[in-house]
Amino acid sequence: MKWFVNEWNRIGKQTQFYGDTLGSSGAALAHYRGEVTRLIAQMGLGTGALAVIGGTVAIVGFLTLSSGAVIAVQGYNSMAGIGVEALTGFISAYVNVRLIAPLVAGIGLAATIGAGATAQLGAMRINEEIDALEVMGIRSVPYLVSTRVIAGVIVVIPLYCVAVLMSFFATRFFTTTVYGQSVGVYDHYFTTFLNPTDLVWSFFEAVVIATVVMLVHTFHGYNASGGPAGVGEAVGRAVRTSLVAAVLVTLFVSLAIYGQSGNLNFSG
Amino acid sequence: MIATDGVSKPLRAIGGFFAMALDTLFLMPRRPFAWREFLIQTWFVARVSILPTLMLSIPFTVLTVFTLNILLVEFGAGDFSGTGAALGAVTQIGPVVTVLVVAGAGATAMCADLGARTIREELDALRVMGINPIQALVVPRVLAATLVALALSSLVTVVGLTGSFFFAVFIQHITPGAFAASLTLLVGLPEVIIALIKAGLFGLAASLIACYKGTSVGGGPAGVGNAVNETVVYAFVALFLINVVATAVGVKATT
Repeated sequence: MKWFVNEWNRIGKQTQFYGDTLGSSGAALAHYRGEVTRLIAQMGLGTGALAVIGGTVAIVGFLTLSSGAVIAVQGYNSMAGIGVEALTGFISAYVNVRLIAPLVAGIGLAATIGAGATAQLGAMRINEEIDALEVMGIRSVPYLVSTRVIAGVIVVIPLYCVAVLMSFFATRFFTTTVYGQSVGVYDHYFTTFLNPTDLVWSFFEAVVIATVVMLVHTFHGYNASGGPAGVGEAVGRAVRTSLVAAVLVTLFVSLAIYGQSGNLNFSG
Repeated sequence: MIATDGVSKPLRAIGGFFAMALDTLFLMPRRPFAWREFLIQTWFVARVSILPTLMLSIPFTVLTVFTLNILLVEFGAGDFSGTGAALGAVTQIGPVVTVLVVAGAGATAMCADLGARTIREELDALRVMGINPIQALVVPRVLAATLVALALSSLVTVVGLTGSFFFAVFIQHITPGAFAASLTLLVGLPEVIIALIKAGLFGLAASLIACYKGTSVGGGPAGVGNAVNETVVYAFVALFLINVVATAVGVKATT
């Protein structure tokens, strides 16, 4: 019974926090525009050791590049098994847009920007900097949390462009250059089946994922406890939760968009 | 000096990582093996990963099966949805979900735990007592993560296939017999073995990264948080890379 009450209260606390954060995003945009700009710059390039290997853009680009390559390797060979390897271009236009790019971009966002935000906020909480802010009369939720959520959602838009382009490029490169399919065949099936509406929806998916991921990560960072070790645990817990959340969001959004009609562009 | 600092720091980190990985490999057969730590860590990694595994693999396969079935039903080949589910679950979803869970859940928890010990100077205390922390802490963790990754990838595959069966049969109205019969059309024993080998490699690489980052933590609360953050990023990058290479090699080996 006690366990149930605790869990119930935890859900309530989280919901309240998310409501607060989203509700004060207007205040954050009105009063802390400089902070938002600073965070966008910081998130786009990454901090510390992450900046050395190219920052968030390079990491997300790399992740989508490699998953696009897997699509090419697996798709081409499986299609070749039943003699329709010409349709690899179709697989790229279909699977990359609907599944791989939003999911992988969401995962990359959780791992880089999200986990970074948790680590920063957690360290601030442990060092009692957040309490100090409150004492100085600065509302910590709009100043620290809402600004981070807004910045994360803004950063994901160019990030997602890179992700989609990288996944297309990787699949095309591996299919045409490594497996030797003719570029014309690949491009023909790719452009025939590439549906612009799908792209717009997948953008929408990416933005929703980014919002959820940033909310989960800031919640765990803002409420970290238990000394230095607690920050590490909070980051771990946040990553676990946000991965599950990202996949569930993708599932529900796809069911909502494609559940009725399928929206399959068959005749070009 | 300032100019070379930007280059030498990451290089030093890479060197340190490889040195620790080699140490770990050489110390693996050395007695005494820390059985107790191994069992505790196996249970620890399994405990933090099992729930995320279930929560990730069900929606992931449902998503794949759903997307593929739209296509197959459109073609009039709905009876082959089992093939798509098996191909997705065994060759792609299985390894990818294992990557996410091992790197996102197992490695982060492991790094946070080791980082906390490093911050509390427990590792220095071990060294003073003449115990090699790599042998006492890192070797059992790496082996435990590899074992758990293998078990998890089997779990992901089974859960994924069951989930997609229910979704395909009860929601998208595919004939259950046709689903089951078409499962083995493109996927056989070699694919399953490759998926298991991949999972083992993921566990090994992710736990080595987590242990390196955990044992080289410094700088208080922010340091531990950053170490966990870097563990996730590096583990994802390494594991995605291993996935591409292993898939390409595996596909070549089976055909």
